[in-house]
Amino acid sequence: MNIRTVLTLTVAAIVLAFASWWMGQQSYTWFPPQAAAEAKLFDDLFSFLVMLGTFIFLGVTGTILYSVLFFRAGRYDYSDGPPIEGNVPLEIVWTAIPLLLVFWIAGYSYQIYEQMAIRGPMELVHLHMPSMMESAYAAPADEGTEPVEEIEVHAKQWAWVFRYPEQDVTSTELHLPIDHRVRLALQSEDVIHGFFVPAFRIKQDVIPGKTIDFEFTPIRVGKYRLRDSQYSGTYFAAMQADVVVESADDYQQWLAMAASTPPQPAYNRAAAEYQASQKALVPGWKTIPPAPPPVVNYAPKHEATSPPV
Amino acid sequence: MTNIPVEAIGVAREQPYPGAPDNWKRFFSFSTDHKVIGIQYLVTSFFFFLVGGIFAMILRGELITPEADLVDRTVYNVMFTMHGSVMLFLWTFPSLLGLANYLVPLMIGARDMAFPRLNAVAFWMVPVVGILMIGSFLVPGGPSQSGWWAYPPMSMQNPTGNLITGQVLWILAVAISGVSSIMGGVNFVTTIVKMRAPGMTFFKMPVFVWTVLAAQLIQLYGLPALTAGAVMLLFDIVFGTGFFDPTKGGNPVLFQHFFWFYSHPAVYVIILPIFGVFSEIFPVYARKPLFGYKIVAVSALIITVVSGIVWVHHLYVSGTPGWMRMFFMVTTMCVAVPTGIKVFAWTATIWGGKLRLDTPMLFALGGLINFVFAGITGIMLASTPIDLHVNNTYFVVGHFHYVLYGAMVFGLFAAIYHWFPKMTGRMYYEGLGKLHFWLAFIGNALNFIPMHPAGLMGMPRRVASYDPEFAFWNVLASLGAFLLGMSTLPFILNMVSSWVQGKKAPDNPWRAIGLEWLVSSPPPVENFEELPVVIAEPYGYGKNEPLTEAQRKELAEA
Amino acid sequence: MTTESSIARGIQAEIVEAHDDAGNRMFGFIVFLLSESVIFLSFFAGYIIYKTTTPDWLPPGVTGLETHDPAINTVVLVSSSFVIYVAERYLHDRKLWGFRLFLLATMAMGSYFLYGQAIEWLGLPFGFTSGVFGGTFYLLTGFHGLHVLSGIVLQLIMLLRSFLPGNYDKGTVGVEATSLFWHFVDVIWIVLYILIYVWQ
Repeated sequence: MNIRTVLTLTVAAIVLAFASWWMGQQSYTWFPPQAAAEAKLFDDLFSFLVMLGTFIFLGVTGTILYSVLFFRAGRYDYSDGPPIEGNVPLEIVWTAIPLLLVFWIAGYSYQIYEQMAIRGPMELVHLHMPSMMESAYAAPADEGTEPVEEIEVHAKQWAWVFRYPEQDVTSTELHLPIDHRVRLALQSEDVIHGFFVPAFRIKQDVIPGKTIDFEFTPIRVGKYRLRDSQYSGTYFAAMQADVVVESADDYQQWLAMAASTPPQPAYNRAAAEYQASQKALVPGWKTIPPAPPPVVNYAPKHEATSPPV
Repeated sequence: MTNIPVEAIGVAREQPYPGAPDNWKRFFSFSTDHKVIGIQYLVTSFFFFLVGGIFAMILRGELITPEADLVDRTVYNVMFTMHGSVMLFLWTFPSLLGLANYLVPLMIGARDMAFPRLNAVAFWMVPVVGILMIGSFLVPGGPSQSGWWAYPPMSMQNPTGNLITGQVLWILAVAISGVSSIMGGVNFVTTIVKMRAPGMTFFKMPVFVWTVLAAQLIQLYGLPALTAGAVMLLFDIVFGTGFFDPTKGGNPVLFQHFFWFYSHPAVYVIILPIFGVFSEIFPVYARKPLFGYKIVAVSALIITVVSGIVWVHHLYVSGTPGWMRMFFMVTTMCVAVPTGIKVFAWTATIWGGKLRLDTPMLFALGGLINFVFAGITGIMLASTPIDLHVNNTYFVVGHFHYVLYGAMVFGLFAAIYHWFPKMTGRMYYEGLGKLHFWLAFIGNALNFIPMHPAGLMGMPRRVASYDPEFAFWNVLASLGAFLLGMSTLPFILNMVSSWVQGKKAPDNPWRAIGLEWLVSSPPPVENFEELPVVIAEPYGYGKNEPLTEAQRKELAEA
Repeated sequence: MTTESSIARGIQAEIVEAHDDAGNRMFGFIVFLLSESVIFLSFFAGYIIYKTTTPDWLPPGVTGLETHDPAINTVVLVSSSFVIYVAERYLHDRKLWGFRLFLLATMAMGSYFLYGQAIEWLGLPFGFTSGVFGGTFYLLTGFHGLHVLSGIVLQLIMLLRSFLPGNYDKGTVGVEATSLFWHFVDVIWIVLYILIYVWQ
């Protein structure tokens, strides 16, 4: 390898590195706002992977494009290329580097996962032994200093109902206090659903027949969208709800207001659409009927209204 | 072959062979000729590719606007279920089996598969699977609406209350497809291990044969697990047992383990033969030996082994304990190592070669670029924290369509163009082929790249309606899908017209090295009048070395 | 020259192999059995997971499985593996009557096993839909029983074919495969017996 090749390769690598870094920075703009502590961790890891991925992608495709442009056979050139069958040191290098990269990515991901886990223990035991259920997650290090808000989440075809056990308040809108640890108890009445708030970057399937604890910390005031992420049947796409993150005062006020409101039926898109479809000229195939609109203390009469991101 | 009497060749030529004008009826018969069966597989599966494509057009038509307005939600759910099922069980698996059926015996110098009749039976199950799948549109309640995963307890819900539902027919179809695949697996493994031509050691086998072996081994160890899960699900639905029903003490997540234990490795069943196709095509059109042949060949088997211990990455959010998430994250990422070896080897094969950009090479290069992209998003998905956000979003849909369309379908088209002269004895039209490539390449990018940002923004997969914030990316994707749909038209035109009236193909139009190129185009029924004796590795480009004993003698005499 | 002659020898050897139809069949059958065993492995894995994680494993009113009669059944089935081996040896020595006798004995033992299982099934206080316990019990024993039945049918075919004149002169791969299948069914039963009856 002469000086010129080394120089060219070095320059190419620097250009690639710069492009990759730029792409990694760009990746932060591809997401909804960072509304939970977990989202920050996620975005950093994703940016790192985008950077690495861009470098590899540009490296490989650049080499291929260069070959396509400069190693073309002439129209009447029927000769063969050099009969190079391999290069052992090179092959060792390109086995070792991906191996190291993979362990690096895995290590970094593990670290991020651990940090998320400290903030939101997700050590679920899905093949749950009854005896293990209580201590399924490790106690966070800072427990005691940080009070935990416990909320029940009930999923059914196709509605979300949230229950605040301390105040015995029910709602179809999930209200959360900001900068406050939240522990959800996820339950499903029928099939598997998925609890997914894109702005929080976290997701957990809700498995019928068991309660799954799920923790995170919202850090940004606003209205976000909760979606069902595990396909659950006919009105799956309509199974959405608003998540309102608000200051502690607003949150307490809301709870008090809701507690003093008698339960009434909330708007439910699946039920409304089902009613309408019964009158449709060309009905679809027969479906499981949606559960009746949930009767809750805080019952918005409209569908989810979180603003687009 | 110099020592064969001329009249013997004449006799061989007179026998009916696939592609001969008066022998089209062979393709509609219970033929045991692996070449006929190969083409039967390819044509049948291509028909279902069009069916699945029409389903996809309906899906993208629905998704071009945010509201669920084109079709009823139940119809949409049927469409995505059947799109996935048809494309997997009736297009990707059978089309690759067709390619392998046609090529493997020719490449290893055998006269047919080890069990020709079993081979034919396995093929004729494919139309049965197709009839069950498409026929389920006629039962009351319609076809299955539970997605191709058919996760219980949702797949156990039965609004019509009938015994024979779309879901039951779907499980039966999948079971029959599984039986057919097991037959194929037994046949291929036996053929490759026991029927190689004299002199063809494992390390003289073309990489395509290696990858078919690796893929079929996965079928053999993976499919039975899916069968077990499917049987239990069927019993739950039909007899009311409670294996996966939480109200009866069952465990719905266990089904996911059974399902993904097979269905993740199934992705490697699909992509491994395409790796083989890449490994065959790049040396031919770059006029260079495959870089690092042995390690490329062995890495296919490494993938076979590693792919058996990665399935839980589909269950990160199903409620798996942390240690499981971490273990399967590492194993999943390890797949990148043997895969990376291959990608680098192909790049090095092209480097410094004498490239000729015929249609097969274009498709192979496009497929390789798409595959690299898909591989990178695949590594991202393997990372547990990333998956917690993007799991079950359009990011995943974009990723696996990049694998399945971008890499697998591109590789398959590359293979069809490359071996079309051998299969039919005719040359295809280069201009139509190039048009097909560019439409497909642009359509693929336009269709599947926008799915990635939509997923990162939080658009779940399998939705019939979505929020307006995703509209921009979905319009792009739908336009790309329609372009992709159009791209098959020049292909069909090309195949039909060249098969009917294309220029006659010589035995070896690409000056390729390989046993299949030593026989006539199309090959005679028994493939080889005299079994070739292999004396060299398969990719001797630029080395001027004979591949078979007969060639060596010819050279020595000359 | 030496390479050439070694290649020539290789040719001789491999051409013989290329026509080794019986060898192919046996190889293919072994591959099939290995694949088949994964179904059983999946069921076993499922059983173990259910048994260790289901809170109320036994249905109400069921205290456990009776092990005495199944033990006798097990002994009969396992010893039939040796009986079919003897049958194979007789065939190997071309003593057809010995072969038929011992094959018939194997079939009788297999049938006794099925009979014993049927008796057990009829006397059980739980059914297929009695929770996961009932489901897995009938699934495992039933699926295995189906294999025993297939084995007996295969043996019957081999027995009938022994009356075709000169049938086994062409080769005995069918009998070897049947015998292998029978051993396979036995080994599966031993694992199954340990899982279901011994580990309670």
